Amino acid sequence: MRKGGRKWIWAAATISLWVLTAMLPLGQAQEKYVTYLSLADYTGPIAGLNVPADMGVEDFFKDLNDRGGVEGVKVKFTGVDTRYDVARGVSAYKRYRTEHKLVLANAISTGIGKAVAPLTGRDKVVQLVPGDGEFQAKPGRVFTWGTCYQDAYAATMDWIMEDWKAKGKSGSPKVGYLQWDNPYGREPLRGGKEYMEKLGMSLLPPEFFPPGTLDHSVWLNRLASQNPDYIVIGGVDPTPTNVLRDAHKMGLTKRIQFVDATFWGPDETVGIKAHPEATEGAVICVYYLRGKEAREHPLAKRIWQKYRARPLEEMGSTYSTGMIWGLDLEAALKIALRQVGYDKLDGEAVFQAYMKLAGSDHRQGLAGNCTYGPDSRRGSDMVKFYRVQGAKLVPITGWRKAPDAVSLHKF
Amino acid sequence: MRGMKAIMALACCLITAWAMSGCATSVTEPARKARLQVIPDKVVIGPQLLKEPVKFSGSGFGSKEMVVVEMVVPPEVEMKGVKKGEDVGLAYGTCDEAGNFEAAMAPTATLNWFFRTEWSPTLAPDLKQAKPLPPARYEIRATGLDSGAVGQAYLEVVSAPSPAPKK
Repeated sequence: MRKGGRKWIWAAATISLWVLTAMLPLGQAQEKYVTYLSLADYTGPIAGLNVPADMGVEDFFKDLNDRGGVEGVKVKFTGVDTRYDVARGVSAYKRYRTEHKLVLANAISTGIGKAVAPLTGRDKVVQLVPGDGEFQAKPGRVFTWGTCYQDAYAATMDWIMEDWKAKGKSGSPKVGYLQWDNPYGREPLRGGKEYMEKLGMSLLPPEFFPPGTLDHSVWLNRLASQNPDYIVIGGVDPTPTNVLRDAHKMGLTKRIQFVDATFWGPDETVGIKAHPEATEGAVICVYYLRGKEAREHPLAKRIWQKYRARPLEEMGSTYSTGMIWGLDLEAALKIALRQVGYDKLDGEAVFQAYMKLAGSDHRQGLAGNCTYGPDSRRGSDMVKFYRVQGAKLVPITGWRKAPDAVSLHKF
Repeated sequence: MRGMKAIMALACCLITAWAMSGCATSVTEPARKARLQVIPDKVVIGPQLLKEPVKFSGSGFGSKEMVVVEMVVPPEVEMKGVKKGEDVGLAYGTCDEAGNFEAAMAPTATLNWFFRTEWSPTLAPDLKQAKPLPPARYEIRATGLDSGAVGQAYLEVVSAPSPAPKK
């Protein structure tokens, strides 16, 4: 071959190679990672709950990535501030749905969760939502963080009956219900009410107030006039604390036992700190560790000290709840990578892996158990009860099984 | 030798053509056009928007498709929680069989993106710290989340009329 001809061939081959390299998808040329999308609220009405939770999951992923990720695959955390607005949540999902290997979207609110579910279903992406039993009743790609709200409410009824009997009373107590006037506030009764009927308990007409209410005395007065023995409350702290503050002013906390049945009640770093007297004696039902138990959990403590370097007392309860999301994804990625490898790793593979998490102890005791399975979209079926004592959340039960109240309701 | 040269050259051309054709699939196709109407298309930012929110209607989208309505945030307008260059969602809806949709802004959307309010620890909007959108003509887009069809319209934010002089 002549010298000029060879040069020509080399030049053509080099150009071809350059073109091929340039055409390679970006992900192949960069490090291996998957994307976790949080449709969050960092500056809106429930930022007090969501900021520590996302700090927890983000720190967890930093730690996981520092340890090399899952078999070399790292997790990219993408948090979007929706300010608790559903349209912003849908718009944010639209923007980020094409992110590299998006495998999971976590929606902070019931409304965002319901609106985005058809899209994550189409994109075959795993979705997480707070505790809406509807997703368990109609299983798809949406998983609840922990116990469903109605199951926790049913467990609260069991606790109330035990407490009533322990006080030497017979029959069943009068129970009132005071919650936010929104889908979350009504969810516990969709199955919870049926569970009460099953136990032979009766519920006073439920009272609902708009989120943002400054004074709850109108609703408390209406309930108090019917002489309840227990009032079940909810909302995201400081709302439950403010209800207790108003009840305390009215002298109701002395004669009525207040119980928060939906996880987000008075926290040592928020409501209890602001109103220790009013919150004293209140009982809280949760699916995750609270108070000192959460702060001193080895994983939460290690990661808080590593990334936050602040006194442990400043750790909000939901910081460790965020880690549960991270632990679940880590465990699912291990399974999915074993099954399909990185190149084929997608939302579908991670969804299949989530359904294999039931019975695993990967949550390290931060929650009672994990029950994600082929027929279960529940994060857990266990709850624990705490009581505010001396401005601290003190456990009054161990983990206990929550009744299946979802199955009692027709969705 | 000449034959060898020709084969090599042909191979290089084929590789290049194959690579280019693979790339062609990632080129964005122009968005299908749809129609969008903002009702009303001229507003004063005030409490009446919570009672009578801005509504949107559109056509030309896919059957039963979800549509999200977004405002293009001008670079000089600060929107809490929204990164520069991001559009902000105002409303969403699902189309009927014929690809028509209607949607209204929820109070949280009006408060967050039109009033640009802060939130108090009791979860109430803190309107004392609100910074209502400055008067301007804002581009609004509605996008079909399956078809990618896009409708475009404008919303004009105007200043409140000054109070009549006292006689």
